[in-house]
Amino acid sequence: MALTALEIYKLLPKTNCRECGFSTCLAFAMQIAAGKAGIDQCPPASDEARETLGAAAAPPLPKVTVGTGERAVILGDEVVLYRHEKTFYHPTAFAISVSDALDEDAFGERIRRIRALSFERMGETLAVDMVAVRCESGNAARFSRAALAAKEGAGLPLLLSGPCEALAAALPSLGSDRPLLSPSSGEGEAGARLAAPLGLPLVVRAKGIDGLAGALTAARAAGARDLVADPMPASLSEAVAMSVYLRRLAILARAREIACPTAFDLGNGFPFPFAAASLLVPKYGSLLVLDSDDPADLFPLLTLRQNIFTDPQKPIQVEAGIYPVGNPTPSSPVLITTNFSLTYFTVRSDIEASRVPARLLVADCDGMSVLTAWAAGKFSGESIAKILSGSGIAGAVSHRTLILPGMVARLSGKIEELSGWRILVGPQESSAIPAYLRRLPPAAFAPADV
Amino acid sequence: MTVILPKQTFPGRIVEVTLPAGEGGRSVSVGGQTSLPLMPEGELPNPVAVGIEVRTGDEELPPSLARALGGRGTDPPGLARSLVEKCGARFLFLSLAGCHPDLGGHTVSRGAGIVRDVLRAVPCPAIVGGCGEEETDALLFPAVAEAAPRPVFLSYADEKNYRLVAGAALAYGHGVVSWSPIDINMAKQANLLLGDIGIPPHRVLIDPLTGGLGYGLEYTYSIIERIRLAGLSGDAALARPILCHLGESWKAREAVDSTEASWGDVVDRGRRWEEATAWACLAAGADLLVCRHPDNVRTLRRIAGTPWL
Repeated sequence: MALTALEIYKLLPKTNCRECGFSTCLAFAMQIAAGKAGIDQCPPASDEARETLGAAAAPPLPKVTVGTGERAVILGDEVVLYRHEKTFYHPTAFAISVSDALDEDAFGERIRRIRALSFERMGETLAVDMVAVRCESGNAARFSRAALAAKEGAGLPLLLSGPCEALAAALPSLGSDRPLLSPSSGEGEAGARLAAPLGLPLVVRAKGIDGLAGALTAARAAGARDLVADPMPASLSEAVAMSVYLRRLAILARAREIACPTAFDLGNGFPFPFAAASLLVPKYGSLLVLDSDDPADLFPLLTLRQNIFTDPQKPIQVEAGIYPVGNPTPSSPVLITTNFSLTYFTVRSDIEASRVPARLLVADCDGMSVLTAWAAGKFSGESIAKILSGSGIAGAVSHRTLILPGMVARLSGKIEELSGWRILVGPQESSAIPAYLRRLPPAAFAPADV
Repeated sequence: MTVILPKQTFPGRIVEVTLPAGEGGRSVSVGGQTSLPLMPEGELPNPVAVGIEVRTGDEELPPSLARALGGRGTDPPGLARSLVEKCGARFLFLSLAGCHPDLGGHTVSRGAGIVRDVLRAVPCPAIVGGCGEEETDALLFPAVAEAAPRPVFLSYADEKNYRLVAGAALAYGHGVVSWSPIDINMAKQANLLLGDIGIPPHRVLIDPLTGGLGYGLEYTYSIIERIRLAGLSGDAALARPILCHLGESWKAREAVDSTEASWGDVVDRGRRWEEATAWACLAAGADLLVCRHPDNVRTLRRIAGTPWL
C-alpha cells in the first residue's frame, strides 16, 4: 500500500544530510511519496526503511522484460483493473509460433510471413512482437539451429518452447538475447535452474491458480526471478476467468507470491483462438501465442490492442493536414476541424455520407475537440488563418471559402480579416453536415479573384 | 496450496428484459445478472443474445458481406427468414435504412409495410431501427409502432426524439432502445427521461453507441464497463441490458479495402473486423450483439450465446 510522506519521513534518518540531493529529509519524503524519488538515493537509510519503502514502491504486477534492444518486450507492470481508472501501460504481446520440424524452405517462408505482420495505422506501426519457436522435432540440436534461424530471420525476441534439453542446447548462442523460456510440462524446476544463472525470464506452467501458486514458489526456490504465469486453461471461458482472477490477485489482493504477467498458448489446437485473443487483449493477457500468421487475423487483433492500450487521458490524434474526401475538384468545398481522432472520424464520415466531394482541413490542436480547443485557445482566428496560408490549401482549390464548425462561428470575422478567405458558418453538430453540404449552392465555391 | 479466488460481488442486479417473439418463435431474455461479464461469480440467468441485421434500401455491400449475403434475394421478408434460419440468430434487427432520402427514399408507409411483412415472415423477436434522418424518423416511428403486428423494440430514442419514440412505444406496447453518444451521464439521463414518460424499466435497452474497431471502440469499451459497474453498484437508472450494434465496424477502411494485399483477404478480414469488435463489447459487458455477417452470428452464438461456464 502506498505510504504518505509523513510515514516515509518517520523511516528516514532525519539528519537533513542532503546526500539525496534534496534540501531536507521531509522534502525527500514528499518526493518518494509522489513516486519521483526512490529510497536508494538515501545512502544512510536503515535496512528497515529500505525494505518497507522498496516493497511499497514495487508495482503490484511485476515487470518482466523479454529480448534486448529496441524490440524488447515488456510484460506486466500494470496498476489498474479498468482502463478508465488510469490506463493500461504495456500492450498485450503477440508471439507467432514456428515449428523446428519444418524443412528449411517452409521454415524460412513461415518466418517471412511472420515478419510481414506489420501494419501502419494512425501514425503507429502495429506489429507482432515475438516468435515462439516450438520444439516438435524432439531433436535438441535441430531446435537450437531453428531458434537461431528464427532470431536472425525475424529480428524479434524469442519464446523458446520445448523440453529442457532442447532449451539448454539453444542457450549458448541465444542466452544473451534474453529469450523467454517455456519448458515442457513437468519440467518446471529444471527450467527454473536453467533460467536462474543467466537471469532469463521463465514461463511457469501449471493447471489452475492453486497449481500456479505452488509452481511459482518452486521456481523461485530454484533461483528464477522473472516469472510469467500460464494457468493452462482448457477452454476459452476458463482462460478469461483465470486471467481476470490473476489480475485481481495482483491489483486488489496484492498477492505478491502469485502476481505475475500472464502467458496463454492459443495455438496447438486451443479452441477458438481468435475469440480467445480478442477477449484476452482487454482481459489482461500479457503474452498470447498464436499459430495463425494470416494478416486478416492479426491486423484486427493488433488494432484492438491499439484501441485498448490507448491512454484514455491522452486521446489519439490524427495528423494535421488536408484530407480529400471522395474525389474533390478545385471547386469542391473546404471544411475545417480539429485533430482529435473522434472528431475527425465523425466529421469525415458525415462528409462521406453527404456524397459531396470535399476537402477537410485538420488543425493541430493537441487532440482536443472543437469546443475544447477553442476554449484552450488552440483553435483560434489566428491559428486557422495560419493554416489557410501555410497548409497549401490555397493551391489546391480555386475558391477562397471555408466552412467553419458552427460551434465556433464567432471566429468568422477574425479569420476573414486575417486571411482574406470568406467564411461560411457550418452546422453546430457534425450530424447535420450531410444535409448542409447538399444544400450549399455551387456558386458558393466559384473561383476567387486571386 | 489453496489460493482464495478474489470473486467480486455487487449489491445491484441488471433488470431482466424480455424481447417477445411471434407465434412459433422463441422470446429472448437478457440481463438479470448480478456480476461482471464472463465471470463465474454471481447469477448469470441469461446468455448473451446474438442477432442479425437486415437492412432495406440500396447500399453497396462491403466485399465480405456481399459474399455472405449474395444470392439471398432482396425482398426483406425472404432475406430475413433465410438469414435468421441459416445463422441461428436469436433476434432480428430490421433497419429501415431504405427510408433515408439517399438510400432509396422509401415512403413512410412503405417502411411500415415492410415491418409488417417481415414480422409476419419471421417469428423471432425484433428490434426496428429508423433510417437516421431526423425528419423522416419522426414520421417513421409512429407508423412502425402502429403497423407492427406484435411488440418490438424501437431503435432508437435519443435526447431529441425520446418523447415521440416513447409515445409511440407506449401507445402500442413496444420497448425502446435508449441511445446516447458514448457518455455515461447522457445514458443515465436518457433512461430517467424514458422512465418519467412511463416506459417501464423492463422495456428499455441501452445503446451506448458502438464505435467500430480502430475508430473509437476504446471509448465504447470503457463506457460500457462504467455503465455496467454503475448498474451493478446500485445505480438503478443504468442497471439495464446493453445492446451493441456492430454496424460501425463495417465503415472502417480496414474492413472493406481490397487494394492492400499485405492486409490479407478482404473477405476474411471484414468478418474478423466485426468479430473482434463483438468480443471487445462482450468483454466490456454487452448483453445483446447485432451482427451484419451471418458467420459471426454463428460463431458468437456457439461460444457466447450458450451458457458461458
